[in-house]
Parts: sequence; C-alpha cells; structure tokens
Amino acid sequence: MTVLEAVDLVASYGDHVALNGLTYKVRPGSRVALIGPNGAGKSTFLRLAAGLLEPTSGEVTIDGFPAGSIEARKLTSYLPDTPSLYDDLSLVEHLEYVARLHGETDWEDRANDLLDRLGLTDRAQDPPGGFSKGMRQKASIAVAFVRPFGLILADEPFDGLDPPSREALDSLFAEAAAGGASVVLATHHLEIVERASRCLAIDEGEVVYDGRADTAEVARLVGTG
Amino acid sequence: MARVGTQALREMRRARRRRAYAQLDWIDAVYRVYVTAILSALATSFISGIVGGRPVTPAELSRALEFGPALGGLVVAGAIAAGLRSGGRGGPLVLLPADVTIVLLAPIPRAVALRGVAVRQLRFSGFLGAVIGMIAGNLAAQRLPGSYAAWVAAGGVTGVITGLAFTGSALVASGVRVGRRVAGLIGAGVLGWSVADLLGRTATSPATFLGRLAMAPVHGVGTPIFGFVIIGLPLAGLALVGGTSLEAALRQAGLSAQLRFAVTMQDVRTVILLRRQLSAEGPRRRPWVRVWGPAGRGPVWRRDWQGVLRWPAARILRIVLLGGAAGVAATAAWEGTPVLVALAGLALLVAALDAIEGLAQEADHPTLSSMLPVGRGWLVLRHLAVPVTVMVGVCVVGVAVSGALGPGGLPGVIGIGLIAALPAAVAAVVGAAVSVSVGPAINPLEIGPLANAVAGAKAAGPPLLAVLGVVPLAAARIAVNHDDSALAGAGPAAVAVLFVAATVTAAVLLREG
Repeated sequence: MTVLEAVDLVASYGDHVALNGLTYKVRPGSRVALIGPNGAGKSTFLRLAAGLLEPTSGEVTIDGFPAGSIEARKLTSYLPDTPSLYDDLSLVEHLEYVARLHGETDWEDRANDLLDRLGLTDRAQDPPGGFSKGMRQKASIAVAFVRPFGLILADEPFDGLDPPSREALDSLFAEAAAGGASVVLATHHLEIVERASRCLAIDEGEVVYDGRADTAEVARLVGTG
Repeated sequence: MARVGTQALREMRRARRRRAYAQLDWIDAVYRVYVTAILSALATSFISGIVGGRPVTPAELSRALEFGPALGGLVVAGAIAAGLRSGGRGGPLVLLPADVTIVLLAPIPRAVALRGVAVRQLRFSGFLGAVIGMIAGNLAAQRLPGSYAAWVAAGGVTGVITGLAFTGSALVASGVRVGRRVAGLIGAGVLGWSVADLLGRTATSPATFLGRLAMAPVHGVGTPIFGFVIIGLPLAGLALVGGTSLEAALRQAGLSAQLRFAVTMQDVRTVILLRRQLSAEGPRRRPWVRVWGPAGRGPVWRRDWQGVLRWPAARILRIVLLGGAAGVAATAAWEGTPVLVALAGLALLVAALDAIEGLAQEADHPTLSSMLPVGRGWLVLRHLAVPVTVMVGVCVVGVAVSGALGPGGLPGVIGIGLIAALPAAVAAVVGAAVSVSVGPAINPLEIGPLANAVAGAKAAGPPLLAVLGVVPLAAARIAVNHDDSALAGAGPAAVAVLFVAATVTAAVLLREG
C-alpha cells in the first residue's frame, strides 16, 4: 500500500533540471526525512507532491489520485518553508478557517491542544502580522496540523524554532505517524533524520541514498562530513 | 466536505471584508472621496480648456472618420494582446500567498475559490477602462462634432469593454495555460488583424467594430454591435479561471505583495525591478553583440553598453514602442491637442527609467560604488552618457512615427524633430536620474510639516522634467501659429531646456557628493 508515489519525476526550470527522473514510494505511517545539499531538489519534490508545481514529465500520486486533485488535497497537508498567513485574521481564526475549509466542524479541541503544545495560547487572538519569525513558524505548524490529513509534507519545519518548540513539533510528527499518517520532511537537522524511519537523500535531482541513516552517514550525504 | 469548505470560504471572506470596513476611518474616506471628486472635476475642466478648442476642418473630420475606428480598434487589440501576454505568464489574478497555500490547497473546487477574485479584478479593470475612455471622450468632444455627453458615454462604454477584454483575455490565457510564446503569437495575430484593418481601411476585426463604437457620435451605432462579441472574453475567463497554474499564482502572489508596498512608498525603482521579475524579464546570458575597443578607457561608458547589449528583446521592444507612442502623442499635440505633449514626455520618462539601468544598478549596490577610487558625482555624471545616447535613438523612432502619421511625411517633421530630440532625451534621462537618486518618494522616517511637500516634490519632479523636455515642440507650434518658423520657436526653447537639465544634473551631482 502506498500513500505517495512518484514515478520518473522530472522538473526543470529552463536549462536547470531540479529533479531528474525521481522514482519513490511512501508507505502509510512512515516518517521520511528528505535530505541533501542546498538546491538538491528537496523543496521541488515537496511542492510537486503538494500540487503546487506540475512536473515537466512523470507523475506524483497521493493514494492513487494525481497530486493537486481535490482527492489528493483532502489527504495532503503542506507546511511551507516560509509561513503564509493572513495579516487580518487572528491565529485562532486561521485555525477555524483551515479546519472548516477541510470540512472539519469540531475543530476547537484540536486547535486548543495545538496552541497549548506550541506555546501559542496567549497569542491565539492576535493576528500573526506582529509575530516574530519563530512565532510565525509555530503558527504555520498549527495551521498544518489542525486539519485532518493522511500525509504531511513539511519543508524545513524546524528552522527558526527554539528547543521546546522543536520537541513539540517532533512529537506532533511522531503522533501523526503513529496514527497512520505519513510524514515527509525536508531538514538539515541530523537528530531529526536519525529519528526518521527512512532517509531519502537527493543530490542534483536524483536519489543518492534511500534507507535508514546515522549521523555520520547523513553528514556525508549533505556534504558536511 | 466541499460544501462545508465552500461555506467556510464565503464566511471567512465576509468576515475579512467586515473587519476591513471596521478598520476604515469613514470620515477620512469620505473626505478623500470628496477631495478626489473636486480635483477630478477641476482637472477635467482644466484639460478641456487647454486641449485646444479648434474644431476639426472637414478634411480632418474625413480622416478621423476614415482611420478613427481602426485606430480605436488597435487600442482594443493592444489591450487584448497585453492581456494574453499577462495570462501567458500566469496572470492576471493577484492573490495573497496565504490564499495559494491555504485556500487553493484545500479540497474545494479552485474555480469557486478563484471566481470572486477574478470578478473583483474584472470590476476594477472595467472601472479603470471607463475612466480612461471617458477622459478620451472628453478630449474628442473638444474637437469633433457631436454632443459632449455622447462622446463621454461612447468613450466610457468602449473603455469598460476594453478593460474587461484585457482582464478577460488574461484569464482565458492563464485558465487554459497557453504558454508565453503561444500567447504572444495569438496577441500578435489580434494586433495584426487590426493593423490590416487600419492599412486596408476595412472593418473586419471585432476590435475595429468596437473602435466604431468609440466613434459612435459621428459614426452612428448601427454596426458596432459586432464589437460586443469581445464581451465573451471575460465570461470565458470566469468559466476557465479554475485552470490557473498554482506555481504562477504563488510566484505572482509573493511579488505582488512587495509590489503593492513599493507602490505605496512610490518607490519607482523597486516597482521596475519587481515588474521585471513578474514578467521574468532578466538580462540575456549572452549579449546581442560584444562591446569592442580597448577595455581601459571609459570604463563606465563600456560597462553601461555591456548592460544595454544584454537587454532582453521584450525591453527593447517596449522602449521602441514607447518611442513610437511619444511620436503619436507629439503628432496629435502638433495637430491641435497640445495637452498630449505631456503624454509624450511621460512615455519618454518610462523609457528613460529603463535606459538608466547602469546608474540604477550603482544605486542598488552602494557598497560596490563606495569602494571605487572615484567620487560618486564623477560616477553619476559618466553614467548619463549611454542613457542619453539610447534615448536620442528612442526619440528618433518617435520622429519617424510622427513622419509616417503627419500630413507632410518625414520631410515635414525631420527638422523640428531633430531639434526637439536632444532636449527631450536629455530631460527624460535627467528626470530618471533624479528618480533613481532621490529613491522612494515617501520615506517613513521623514516626518514634520514639510514631509508631505518633500514627498510631493520627489514624486512630481521627474515627470515634470520629462514633460519640460518636450516643450520645444510646443514652442515650435506656437511660433508656426504666429506665422514664424518652427525652428525660431524650438531653438531657444531647446537651449532653455538643456540649461534647466544641466542645472538639475549639477544639483544631483552635489547631492551625490
């Protein structure tokens, strides 16, 4: 059984080839760490899977449906590398809005739990326009987790977070995976990669490693070892 | 799920609108509307007064009837071609980044999510078209037979349809995802059809029929009904809007947010850079031709040519078209609508803002230039040479267009055109240099009683200088009207313009140190 399947995925921008024939499968409940040097194609892969980009050739399916289709969007939560939030909605209004856009009417308990775990309860009624970078990232995380999903795609989600928030996010990912959802996250944090069930290393748009990885292996793959 | 989601979308948009209204200072808003209405009325009556009350002669009326519909159709075709170009790049919808990552990734039909935004954009372009059309109708009423109300109404209706056609064609192109090249080709076809109508003195294109609608007060309203087929464009656009590419929408969303802020600050340079990014108008990797000659002498001159020779084709075409537009406006000014001198000056300023790229790059990277072993004033002065050369070329294009349009042909305009070209080019470049040098008109750090006056001067200075550059043309016309030679009027005015431009340049050099 496969939640996400990429087959011969090619994405190019003009002369630059971001992904070059990538083929990969993600099973339900797995936690995949996507690693690679800057410009390797990690964000492109996540955006293709989220349906934000369209492949030059090849295909990505989510539970058998083309990425970006309504059925795929029901299943997929995307946490972008740069938080995209409305300046004229409070944080709690964001959570209500996103949950209801996904057909969720009983959203309040889930929202309160997320706000509490991410240390955002005191700022729930504030619009995120005045938040610090870390606070905006936490708000974006709450938005990604408040809705139901079977697959979460996260692009550098730990960047800008303090250690307690990092732990909170890690436990959210672990709970999601334990509940049967799949997690695919791009990261440079070695300790996060070690906790993943699989590590997928991409370089110059191609898979260069697929399997479990320890710190030394990861450091070698991202070019710091 | 989709029903709940769609309901949530509607409720939240309503809530956001309510919040925006709640934060609005109504007294301030009403006051602004009041002041805008008064100023608009004054400006309209002022323009009407100076447009030149000379009614057209029977021969001129005959020419207006012969070419007017096709020329109007060319404007409509230009709007459609521009819309197709925008749609080919993923436009025209302006979304917030959160709209893309939150709403468009939600499991609700994208057509439902985007239709409201598309309707708002159509409404705005229709309104803008109406305003421009009514102003054009107002200008036409000053010289052509027919009632004032009829001209303003015809201009307004044509303007609304043209505005809707612009956004509609962009929505269609982005909805069916025609590539840039295909969009460009279709746009060229639409324009070509109108040009064929103009040259063949026929009326076959729907755009030409719409041009007839604009001329309804002298043409009648029998045949223009065919022009209304263009209304199908916005309707088709609304039907196809769900096909808009998210990738393009996300790119546009990020840049548009910055663009809005830059416009608020009246930061012309940032607006230019963002607009280039929006249209993916980067420099060529290889120059059209390599700069030759010894590298040691005239490094700034050489560096500026290296930049110019990497201009993409779209920028070259735009500059040439702006030169042509300046020529058309100058011809119309010469033939009895003097206020269009301002339009010629503004077209040249827009071209000069591209031509002055070398100096603008220095302003964008002050650290680089501050490390050079030369004074900043020395550098700025040398950066003006290439733009002036380029702008003289642009003005020559204007003279050629003027020659093609004018009753006397090229020999009739060559003398006055060449005398007017240098001051026009110099003034436009100096205006652009001032714009680059002073930066954003609005500086939040500048407060106090004079802050608004300073911001106004910064914003108005460059366009005023550019318009001043075209004054020799007006002076020549006045001389001709008084049975004097055109050169007798243009010559002294050209010297005066060059003197003013030199004085302003000296002030810029002093400011730059």
